[in-house]
Amino acid sequence: MDSPYWNPKNEKMPREELRALQLLKLRRMCEWAASECDFHRRKFEKAKFKAEQLRTLDDLRRIPIMTRAEWMECQAEKPLFGDLVTAPREHAIRYHLTSGTSGRQPLRVLDSMKDWEWIAEMWCYGFWGFGVRPSDTVFFAFSYGSFIGFWGAHYCCEKLGALVLPSGNMTTENRVKQIVEMEATTVCATPTYALRMAQTAREMGIDLPSSRVNKVIVSGEPAGSIPAVKRMLEQQWGAKCGDTAGMTEIGTIMIFECAHQPGGTHIIEDNFIEEVVNPKSMEAVGYGEEGERVVTSFGRGFIPLLRYRTGDLVMRMPWNKCTCGRTFDWYDGGIRGRTDDMKLIRGTNVYPRAVESIVRECDEIDEFQIVLWRKDNVQDEITVKIEVKPQHAARTAELLPRLGKDLAAAHEGLRFNVEAVAHGTLPRFELKAKRLKDEREYK
Amino acid sequence: MDLLGLKTTDLEQEVLRIYGDLKKLATREDAPPCVARNAKKALACLWQATNDLDLSFEQLRDLGV
Repeated sequence: MDSPYWNPKNEKMPREELRALQLLKLRRMCEWAASECDFHRRKFEKAKFKAEQLRTLDDLRRIPIMTRAEWMECQAEKPLFGDLVTAPREHAIRYHLTSGTSGRQPLRVLDSMKDWEWIAEMWCYGFWGFGVRPSDTVFFAFSYGSFIGFWGAHYCCEKLGALVLPSGNMTTENRVKQIVEMEATTVCATPTYALRMAQTAREMGIDLPSSRVNKVIVSGEPAGSIPAVKRMLEQQWGAKCGDTAGMTEIGTIMIFECAHQPGGTHIIEDNFIEEVVNPKSMEAVGYGEEGERVVTSFGRGFIPLLRYRTGDLVMRMPWNKCTCGRTFDWYDGGIRGRTDDMKLIRGTNVYPRAVESIVRECDEIDEFQIVLWRKDNVQDEITVKIEVKPQHAARTAELLPRLGKDLAAAHEGLRFNVEAVAHGTLPRFELKAKRLKDEREYK
Repeated sequence: MDLLGLKTTDLEQEVLRIYGDLKKLATREDAPPCVARNAKKALACLWQATNDLDLSFEQLRDLGV
């Protein structure tokens, strides 16, 4: 049966039935959370909320909002995993970390066997929907570390029967060689890295558009839904480019671009409730209005995620504005940005505030500046310029690599360039400091 | 009936039956590791199908899945 849908029953389900299904799953997740999760039980009691109050989907708003700060706080109070987990770690089969860039403490997540399978299942909705089939050969330009990234996509491809090519810590040149040699049909990477591989291929004299690659699936950066970037990727690879987006807190993707490519990404609505709210008033906004995503997931039983504030900016569109036949609404332009000042560098979240907290631990540093720039118009780079206090100038050579290492350790191994500049040359501020300089441009 | 009260198809009934059998198998204490662990793995996979088809929605923590 060659269906364009991974799960035709739910992906084409009438909206009223879909809402009824969401309500049923929501009630059960809330009952589970109230019974097994101290974190949510505490919040429910404070908000005087009980699962039986959920009579219609509009009652969702009775559930207290959950924030990343609360999650971090509970982990700090009860290391390592806080009281959000519903089982001891012995029940888990998988451990991953967020980047920890909104503070120095990363979020730690655990998954059971069932939850880990579900993570791959959500990727199946997206990969199948974009046209990946058992006959495909899928190359993952991914480092396979503690960052969850494409892990679920890897297992999704095994599940749907494609040939998987994991590339681990290969050089870019070797990755390009293997994509060509193994006749990969699908390449998965961050948009930035997909562009870098295309550039490397040109330098190697390899014509990617004449290779077997016909799909580039990207994730990890908003750029995947920026039309100019998508055009560049499609031209340079000679392939269709499909966007996906997820988050470590969910463990997987919650949105994907279908083969009809309406200019955005469908929400997997039988497994998530996505609300879009005004980030200041927290009131719901309508179709076509930009707002912040608040997500409820039905997937992870180990870590129930109910009305989690994401900070992602999106614009919701009704399902029937896409011609693919799915009844799942979609986000025009995918993830359009962040409500906070987070920057994405090669798939890793970087918060200026977090960088500052690390820089400021070095007593020798007087002033600093974060510069984001684009190398060869392809690869995003981050440079931290520092001014060393004159009395510590002799320690500069020792300080630079140490700071670079600390910054990388707090950012999933992301390489930071650290440069010392002459004392007194960086800008000083009287009121609110602006130490981040973003020199990147999408051309 | 599925979770929405709609009549299940033959295929869905078959999925549910096998899911139930796997749950039973996963609880057997006389199963050697090769049976016990593979049964749990299979159950984790079939949970996805029952969830996708709206046949069942439950946690499997007590089964170690």
